[in-house]
Amino acid sequence: MKERPLSLTIYGLSTLLGMMAFLYPFLLPAVQRESIMGRARAQDAPLLLTVLVGVCFVALLLEVQAQAGGAKLVALLGILVSINSILRFVEVAIPGPGGLSPIFFLIVLTGYVYGGGFGFLMGSMTLLVSGLITGSVGPWLPYQMFTAGWIGLSAPMCRPLVNLLGGRGKWPEVVILAVFGAVWGLVFGAIMNIWFWPFAMGPASQHWQPGMGMTDVISRYLAFYVVTSLAWDMTRLVGNVVLILAFGMPTLRALRRFERRFAYTYQPDAQVVL
Amino acid sequence: MILFDHVTYTYPEAPGPALRDISLHLPEAALTLLVGPSGAGKSTLLRCTNGLVPHFSGGSLQGSITVNGLNPVTATPEIMSRHVGFVFQDPEAQFVMNQVEDEIAFALENAAIPPQEMRVRVEEVLDLLDLAPLRQRRLETLSGGERQRVAIAAALAFRPRVLVLDEPTSQLDPKSAEDVLQALVRLNADLGLTVLLAEHRLERVLPFVDQLVSLPGNGHDTLAGPPRQVLPRLELVPPLVALAKRLEWDPLPLTIKEGMSFSRQLRERVVAPEHRPEPARSNGPYLRMRDVKVAYDAQPVVRGVDLDVWPGEIVVLMGRNGSGKTTLLKSLVGLIRPQAGRVKVSGQDISGKDVAHICRQVGYLPQDPNALLFANSVLEELTITLRNHGFETDRPADLPINPETLLDRLGLAEKANCYPRDLSVGERQRVALGAVTVTQPGALLLDEPTRGLDYGAKQALVDLLRGWRDAGMAILLVTHDVEFAAAAADRVALMSQGEIIASGAPAPVLGASPLFAPQVARLFPESGWLTVEDSLKHLS
Amino acid sequence: MIHRLAWVSWVGGTLVVLSTTRNPLYLALTLACIAAVGMRVRSESWAGPASVSPLRFGLVVISLSTLFNALTVHIGRIVLFRLPAWLPLLGGPITLEALVYGFLNGVALTGIFAAFTVLNQALPVRSLVRLVPRAFHQVAVVMSIAVTYVPTTLRQFQQIREAQAIRGHRTRGLRDWIPLFVPLLIGGLERALQLAEAMIARGFASSGERGHDTLTRLVIAQGLLVLLIGWLLRLVWNQRILGLALMLAGSGLVLAALWVIGRRVPHTDYRPEPWTGRDWAVVLGAAVAVAPFLLPLPGLGRETIFYYPYPALTLPGFDPIIGIAILGLTVPALLSRKPSVVSDHQRKLEKLSSDPL
Repeated sequence: MKERPLSLTIYGLSTLLGMMAFLYPFLLPAVQRESIMGRARAQDAPLLLTVLVGVCFVALLLEVQAQAGGAKLVALLGILVSINSILRFVEVAIPGPGGLSPIFFLIVLTGYVYGGGFGFLMGSMTLLVSGLITGSVGPWLPYQMFTAGWIGLSAPMCRPLVNLLGGRGKWPEVVILAVFGAVWGLVFGAIMNIWFWPFAMGPASQHWQPGMGMTDVISRYLAFYVVTSLAWDMTRLVGNVVLILAFGMPTLRALRRFERRFAYTYQPDAQVVL
Repeated sequence: MILFDHVTYTYPEAPGPALRDISLHLPEAALTLLVGPSGAGKSTLLRCTNGLVPHFSGGSLQGSITVNGLNPVTATPEIMSRHVGFVFQDPEAQFVMNQVEDEIAFALENAAIPPQEMRVRVEEVLDLLDLAPLRQRRLETLSGGERQRVAIAAALAFRPRVLVLDEPTSQLDPKSAEDVLQALVRLNADLGLTVLLAEHRLERVLPFVDQLVSLPGNGHDTLAGPPRQVLPRLELVPPLVALAKRLEWDPLPLTIKEGMSFSRQLRERVVAPEHRPEPARSNGPYLRMRDVKVAYDAQPVVRGVDLDVWPGEIVVLMGRNGSGKTTLLKSLVGLIRPQAGRVKVSGQDISGKDVAHICRQVGYLPQDPNALLFANSVLEELTITLRNHGFETDRPADLPINPETLLDRLGLAEKANCYPRDLSVGERQRVALGAVTVTQPGALLLDEPTRGLDYGAKQALVDLLRGWRDAGMAILLVTHDVEFAAAAADRVALMSQGEIIASGAPAPVLGASPLFAPQVARLFPESGWLTVEDSLKHLS
Repeated sequence: MIHRLAWVSWVGGTLVVLSTTRNPLYLALTLACIAAVGMRVRSESWAGPASVSPLRFGLVVISLSTLFNALTVHIGRIVLFRLPAWLPLLGGPITLEALVYGFLNGVALTGIFAAFTVLNQALPVRSLVRLVPRAFHQVAVVMSIAVTYVPTTLRQFQQIREAQAIRGHRTRGLRDWIPLFVPLLIGGLERALQLAEAMIARGFASSGERGHDTLTRLVIAQGLLVLLIGWLLRLVWNQRILGLALMLAGSGLVLAALWVIGRRVPHTDYRPEPWTGRDWAVVLGAAVAVAPFLLPLPGLGRETIFYYPYPALTLPGFDPIIGIAILGLTVPALLSRKPSVVSDHQRKLEKLSSDPL
């Protein structure tokens, strides 16, 4: 069967390209230490990157969608996304340093129970729809969708570990998912920052200047990160952990209870049909 | 048109078949009414006509089905959607788009119907269902009846020859239900559309029905035929039919008008109604409202209501939609705080007390009992409430009532360990009743408790409420269901525009009202009889 | 109504201008164009006010960006003051150049945010949903469902809160939210099953297509590969032109696959949104505005675009022709308003019901 390698290639390539786009500000000094052209090149960075991420996202979504079609999944996704988008209102409504966003919790758990493709769609669609209804569509959207999609896509990676540590329904399951949520809480913030970073630094970029090494870039990025978002990301991390620990068990139970009902299909060969 | 030949169907993982050896023939252009208690397989049978069973539900099917010359099982639901329009119970759970026109066009867009033709078809169904004035509206701004009409319009967009409806009015109030049923009757009469309808409100459609199919469940035989043939063999029927059967009226009347020709001959046996003695009221009322006023956004909803409910009586509050009934109930438990007036529970003013505290003494069953249920078992639903109120559930002696005893009284003893959401509508409602009464409150409020219940479940509810009333509970219930009110009420209050416009014993209040009079009162005006039992007591 | 794709081209135009130049004069001009269009759109908008106003966003972002740049970039001739050198990152001269550059970056970001705010207000959600390419038809349906069920879910949540309060529930700790969240989730799952049934009964495919055909997917994989190679060429080996060409080719392959798959999805639109002369005008305006920034046109003072305050602050140059070109972005504000088909009363109703909370 050649379906699977092809599928993996598309996942792999788009993920690699996406990661390169995200890490672009750090790659630049590493590969172009001797170049004088850096300044001109960096100019097109933000736009080029947005387009690039967009193309990767299109490729990935085409691949995922083909596996997650059909009325049951479309309806399920639609309703879960609308629940999750409402949770996003909570985020918008909480004043002060945000970051505490309840949306990741459901993305992690649905991806974990219903599979990576579903999780990917759940993540990216949640960001898209909540962006639509809170009126915050912007150039950051492809990045948010891509990253939130990755969260859902990677959630099934917890399964082997869970099976190793006692299996479904035991407490290690929720702890593993909480740790997973914690890691993504930080990574999501860091990635969204990297998107913002070239924009914030301007086109004739100072994130790379002739003679500036990778360590300088990273230390500047870290400063930028600490200033702009460490507080946000820490609350997100804590939020994810607390939500998964508190709600994980009952939510998993509810999702699993419906898992089979959504999976019923009719096999005509097994029946006596006149 | 629709042909079932020895059809047996079993859901996946189910112990026994949901349909057992069903054979039916429904002719073209007929209006067929499908009746039977919940759980008898009505929904399953309907879903066989467009292939949802077994394509959506899985499971195994034997026998053959033919609809409009096609076999839905081999044709798949996608093809069947062109031949069978299907409307579901819940108007909230069948829409994809948020606007009337878009919703109707959704299926057409997906089927790549050319835009010109699409316009024509949308206009067509908008006119057929009188939706043209609403075409631009958002669905969430529509009433339940309007939404159900949109659902019918959407189902008709493909110009199917058959329209199948699964209890389309069970979530609606009587006025909306009537709109929907009238639209159906018109479609059937004017277009010759074959209609297959599962419905609890027999009295509204019976006069127009060509064919009545009864699925009694529990392995009994399916009955099918013209209403006058099938009705005499059914147990749970509208009061008019029940009375006619007992008095052996022939031919069986299906409308009040037909019934009048028989009842007129019995007029002389009508005696002036005896005066029911007012119950002795030793203590004060359990619930007392004085001059209560509530407004939303400066729009008055309740304007100065006085109401008392005494221990040991069932008060029924009636009135049209938006007359402030639900608001009144909510202000009794503190969910809504009145702008003016006083509310007393058991002699104590509730202002300043939180809802949880008030509900220790007043049980409240909301319209949608599903909103209450989330535990893993029926028994757990009860213990959660107890724990919410600070009871130690592991010390049975301290509890107001043993949860298992209460389940037994609710007829749920065997279901104690079931998942509440898997139960039938009536059972779920009783679980919710258990969850709000496990603290043994002195009063119980119920909001539209008959929604979605069949005749049997309604009767069970009346019996249960009467038992609690006799044990001294003060019960206040809001309902649109005239027959249920007639059966249950000790006292009736009519509400309109936020005021109570009439209040008193059921016979004078209900019997005289052209809108709220039950069937028996219509047959025997000024008799003071409301239910079949009332009339039989005097007539036989 | 201006066509949704025309709006997209307008936003694209502003994005290109704002991310290419840091010349304060051009930036100010672009911001003025966006403001003009924004004011026009707001007076006709279906939606309520934006959740975060661009002014508030601008205030925060501009001050943050100015501060950060001034404190961390120690390049420039005009030294305002010096921070002690032992401070990591912050130590060193604080220059006016860095301050100005940080400020300009903040202004550009604010412009981008404002342009998208205009887009959000100009297009009703339905049009935004239709921006989703045909190939993602299922995704578009998911979006429609999600948007449709937001009010329902909110009402559901309110009912659950009341129902739990009735049985003595109080929200003190986090775990007290379980009785509120779990019924919402289960109710949603039940509703999703009912909705799926309703969709199938109306002819929506009950199972997904069994994946796209292998050829199309091969094309996608190849497109990604070409894109990767092109980018590496450009990035590592400095093959600017060849790299860009390969990147374009790769993206082209992926987009072609998208188009081919989209064509296979049978679908028609109930409300055709006609493309009119007005839409051409918007696109043309955006193209004119973008041209000096993307194309090496002769006779233009292109060096004024790449204004850069380092190493010493200078006055920005200004080419009137480029300035006039930027004004192409005001076209949506200039177009005459067509007599509305929808009555004012209807619009009021829509406005009332569009507020999700």
